[in-house]
Amino acid sequence: MTRAHSNRGRLSRRSLIQRLTFLGGGVVLLGPACKRSSESQEKTPPADTGPLAAKQDGQAPRTFSSFEYAVVAAATERILPRDEDPGALDANVPVYIDRILQTPELEPVREDFLSGVAALERRAQRMHQKGFAALTAEQQDELLTLFKDSPPRSGEAHFFELLTVMTLEGFLGDPSYGGNQGKVGWRLMGFDTVGTVASAPPEGYDGPKCLRECGVHR
Amino acid sequence: MSLPEVDVCIIGSGAGGAPMALELGRAGFKVVVLEKGPHYQPKDFIHDEILNSRRNFFMPVPWEEPHLVRQGAKGRYEKTSAAWTANCVGGGTVHMSGFFYRLKPVDFRLRSTLGAVPGSTVADWPISYEELAPFYDKAEAELGVSGESVPHPFAEPRSGPYPLPPLDVHPVAKEIDKACGAMGWHSLPTARGILSKPYRGRAPCSYCALCGSYGCETGAKSGTNASLIPAAVATGNVDLRPGCMARTVEVDKQGRARSVVYIDADGVTREQPAKVIVVSCTAVESARLLLNSTSSRFPRGLANGNGLVGRNLTFSSFGESHATFRLSKQSAARPWLKDPSPFVNRSLQDFYLMPDAQFGFRKGGTLGFMWAHPNPIHAAVGLAGKGEKALFGKALKDKMREYRDSRILQFEVYAEFLPTAGTYVSVEDGVKDRYGIPVAAITVDRHPMDLAATRFLVERGEEVLLRLDPDDVRRGTTSGETSILQHGTCRFGDDAATSVLDRDCRAHEVPNLYVVDGSFMPTGGSVPSTLTISANSFRVADHLVRKLKG
Repeated sequence: MTRAHSNRGRLSRRSLIQRLTFLGGGVVLLGPACKRSSESQEKTPPADTGPLAAKQDGQAPRTFSSFEYAVVAAATERILPRDEDPGALDANVPVYIDRILQTPELEPVREDFLSGVAALERRAQRMHQKGFAALTAEQQDELLTLFKDSPPRSGEAHFFELLTVMTLEGFLGDPSYGGNQGKVGWRLMGFDTVGTVASAPPEGYDGPKCLRECGVHR
Repeated sequence: MSLPEVDVCIIGSGAGGAPMALELGRAGFKVVVLEKGPHYQPKDFIHDEILNSRRNFFMPVPWEEPHLVRQGAKGRYEKTSAAWTANCVGGGTVHMSGFFYRLKPVDFRLRSTLGAVPGSTVADWPISYEELAPFYDKAEAELGVSGESVPHPFAEPRSGPYPLPPLDVHPVAKEIDKACGAMGWHSLPTARGILSKPYRGRAPCSYCALCGSYGCETGAKSGTNASLIPAAVATGNVDLRPGCMARTVEVDKQGRARSVVYIDADGVTREQPAKVIVVSCTAVESARLLLNSTSSRFPRGLANGNGLVGRNLTFSSFGESHATFRLSKQSAARPWLKDPSPFVNRSLQDFYLMPDAQFGFRKGGTLGFMWAHPNPIHAAVGLAGKGEKALFGKALKDKMREYRDSRILQFEVYAEFLPTAGTYVSVEDGVKDRYGIPVAAITVDRHPMDLAATRFLVERGEEVLLRLDPDDVRRGTTSGETSILQHGTCRFGDDAATSVLDRDCRAHEVPNLYVVDGSFMPTGGSVPSTLTISANSFRVADHLVRKLKG
């Protein structure tokens, strides 16, 4: 899964990051803004095993095949596993990713993500003769670490970053996108306890008064 | 298809374009404003990080409308969304944080103050602070600025108080005041383009903590979308056309600007003739538009006979550090840490100009203190890190739980970004955006003096943070640049050989062409430049109205 990257020079990355910092809140359009070069796109046909498996709430996935969906679900749960607090599956992160990748402007991201999922599955088959979703948590972590530690401009490293970023978006984004179910992500990060109105305040809302009287925005 | 001629066609509706639209409309001239992006309404501004910060709501995605950026002329271009400001009515003033500083008198004569700086094309402004000051007053009144001026060594002269009292601040502001005072420094209230009280029919701030990167649904943030543009449209003389991307400015046989060719919201190419054309698309995009407007009269681009359009680009030099307070450890002794007030609004300008060069620089800058932005995805992506050091699994979740237990105070540095021959905007004919227009290409070659100054300022800021006894102080960077603050690509001056615009921001070579975004500024100053751009635009509007009334 090698592919020619645009040169993301150290300094130009830095300037992108800094501009965003000034605005606050880190406007980052989908992790690395990667230029794709067509000859490097392996057109991997989705390794669909047919109409078997994973459906969420009886809804067929929109971007992924059922098989890919199962891989994505397993991988995101390793990025944010359930422990004493909810994890990626509790937050419906795979539903978020499946839906958001339908956005027309995100086509390059969709392609990157799908070829990353295919590469992860290929690597699982090669190393363990099993699909990624069928591996133990330890084996899955080992594979994800391999991707993470791949050379900085490799497709594997790029996919690991994309997977992390999209998992966090699905965990911490507005629930209307399908993820952050029950606002479990916001609760974990304390987003609704730091004086921030997570959703737009109602008309006639008196912010200073609310701060004085309740201590937090409600 | 050519439309009926108007008096003035303005390209851009942000900090530069909007004051012109308002003043010309008030004076009775027929004005068309072409704005590339949509016209968002308050109801469109929702507290959704994915929409506002991670998609193309404000800025285009780099595979549709890239900027090319490279480090030095030998570097390789990278496609990025850097150096875009919001593409919508109001431009960058819609998603700004609204730090409304003025420049200081020294910023208008930096070349005279520093002398020749090897490796820099630093130049004085052709006007003085005193000439701009009345228009700072006007911009502050028209936009709505909350602040309090206090005496300090580099205080710029003011004719009176701010239009609005300062916003309520977090108790940590007092702690910063104490820490700075102990070191003999002057902690200053930061003026904000945010309403602390009802003002001219606009509602005050709701203290929601989401200013930067978000539009303001109450209209309390003084973006031109909430202030100048509605007033301009209300004159009945201003025709605001969102979704209209300017392609070129055309000239007639005499070399005067004749019309703007643009692609409208339906994708139809149209031509808007005007007696006067005002360009205000940001320093990068205005240079791109002029460079793309070639003709037999101007084969190298409009008003570019001397080859200076796009040259002398400056941003703002950036540095930052973060101090973390663990609530579980500290809040018993310091209950104010739990106060949810979003604003800190404290600045330090004691190092704006150093008396000598013993630290490797003389022109320093400003430190602005603030709570770290609450965007949770942004915070979590930062906690996860990148590359081999990236965290996932339980290690990442532990960091996220730690974050929940933290309040993070930070400062940002706005330091001088000296102009160099190696930092400029050009256009790349081989790379086109989704309209088929060649894109802007940015080459950056930083002056080492800026980096010395920025590091020095970061170190001073860290001294302040450490005096607050945080659990941790972490340095972000000492060598960044804020590319959303951009200047210089059509610098103004009295000598037509060394500048693009005259002192009234009119092109030396094209008598009815004006540029009023940050392009005119030969130096950017050491503060965010939004208010300065608006003040200058009011100044140019004053000139243009008198000239057109003849």
